[in-house]
Amino acid sequence: MSIDLLRRVGRFVLLAMLAIALPTFAAQANAPLVQVSGFATLGAVTTDRDDVWFTRYGVNYPGDSDPDFSPDSLLGLQASLRLSAYNDITVQALVREDGEESYDPRVTLAFFRQTLASGLSMRLGRLRVPFFMLSDSLHVNYANPWVRPPVEVYGLNPFNDLDGVDLVYHTRLGALDAELHPYFGRGRVPFPMGSARLKATWGMNVALSRGDFSLHLGHGDGRFAMERGDPQTRAVIAALVRAGLPGVAADLSGTDGTTSFDSVGVQWDDGAWQVVSEYARRRVNRYATSSSGWYVSVGRRFGPVTPYAVVARQRLDEQIAEAAVPRGLQPAWDAFLTSRNNAQRSFTLGTRWDVTSFAAMKAEVTHARLDDDSWGSYFPRAMRGGAAIAGKRMNTFSLSLDLTF
Amino acid sequence: MPPLFLAILLALPLSLSAAGACAQAETPIVVVAGEGSAIPALSKEQAEQLYLGRASTLLGGTPVSLADLPPGATRDRFYAGLTGKNPSQIRAHWSRMVFTGRALPPREVADAEQLRSLLAADPNLIGYLPAAAANDHLKILLRLP
Repeated sequence: MSIDLLRRVGRFVLLAMLAIALPTFAAQANAPLVQVSGFATLGAVTTDRDDVWFTRYGVNYPGDSDPDFSPDSLLGLQASLRLSAYNDITVQALVREDGEESYDPRVTLAFFRQTLASGLSMRLGRLRVPFFMLSDSLHVNYANPWVRPPVEVYGLNPFNDLDGVDLVYHTRLGALDAELHPYFGRGRVPFPMGSARLKATWGMNVALSRGDFSLHLGHGDGRFAMERGDPQTRAVIAALVRAGLPGVAADLSGTDGTTSFDSVGVQWDDGAWQVVSEYARRRVNRYATSSSGWYVSVGRRFGPVTPYAVVARQRLDEQIAEAAVPRGLQPAWDAFLTSRNNAQRSFTLGTRWDVTSFAAMKAEVTHARLDDDSWGSYFPRAMRGGAAIAGKRMNTFSLSLDLTF
Repeated sequence: MPPLFLAILLALPLSLSAAGACAQAETPIVVVAGEGSAIPALSKEQAEQLYLGRASTLLGGTPVSLADLPPGATRDRFYAGLTGKNPSQIRAHWSRMVFTGRALPPREVADAEQLRSLLAADPNLIGYLPAAAANDHLKILLRLP
């Protein structure tokens, strides 16, 4: 174990102790109006190759210890203050590594909620971006069957926060339970030497459920900015401008993009069989790829143990920009595009074990094949010759312990 | 690391089930409020909407807050009878509802006695108990078989 790894584990343990102490304190203070709760994951990831890191683009920074604790480990604390029977304030803080390798706690929820009518509430403040079926519970790993939701779909949306307003309406349509969820807001996500911002973004989610079955439909539309300051992008942009292609250069980084997210998901859970499947699509006019992904997951409960299998695929629909570049620029251009493409296919076998009523252990093995022009959900350990990971096959091993309290 | 990992992966399903403290014929469970509460009798569907966090008020606008018994057989029988979901489904459901900020979690009480005293103090609170543990100071809103 490296010193750095020890430091990280130590920091995590310290936070976990704080998390356990806080609710105890709240209970002793006997303040029934404030409810404190939390969730945590301690997760380790390694691969069978020594030239790559497994990474969740936009979520964590490509590792520097092996096994890597940064893709999945996190701690979330949430407090709700009931102001009256009709309104409350909720604040959630999350500690986990972000795309800039920072562990600074982030406020992930901070909203005022007003109940407007039976089943209808409005929330104002910081919410989570709800583009896909599980987006707003992406880090609540205990609620999900897997170590993490499949990266082929959830890697399509790197955004976390939505600063704005939404309505959540629950109603019955005959035998169906319906949740209608329109939202409007803006958000920002950091990554190494750059950031992406969602500007005016609106969307609508519909969830219909009946008994063991539920269907999710989602659509979101936004204006977006993506400013890349990494040396590779700066060099490619400069070369494109020198080659007389300023229009192409302007498609790689800037503040004038539009994007949309669509998703369709289904879940079947009869208490024994658990089937989850989703298709999602990201469309972007510039700065990032237009890509789509899907997964099919089947699990079977045997008492506290639930083995599962997942097939997943992300494909590239449209490159960041199309250009006939001068021959001398072609290798750098291809390397740039390859490093921004996450297309891959994968097959995962895993097991969830509900250890107690508040803890689940999960272990999974993922066999992934990266597309020939893609880094998939991986990052080369040495930047020199990084393109060499494109098209490769790799096995990733993940072990995690999820808690809620 | 990978061989150890594979061993763990294979061992998990084999370390199977201490589960299934089998549900014997036991006393029915009742959903209750304090005797002074204005909350009317609930249909099973209404109670399910409330206890899945999908509604926090009744149709007339009366706000309702929820009490939960500690983890255990009564709580599991209550949710199974009301929603058809097993304990791990319910825990996953509620952690999603709470941590996405959709609903406030039910207030967990220590035991039936604490529940009875909280219900007496808060007319908008509802809870559940084995029918045998209900008394004259409680209003029965729904009886689950």
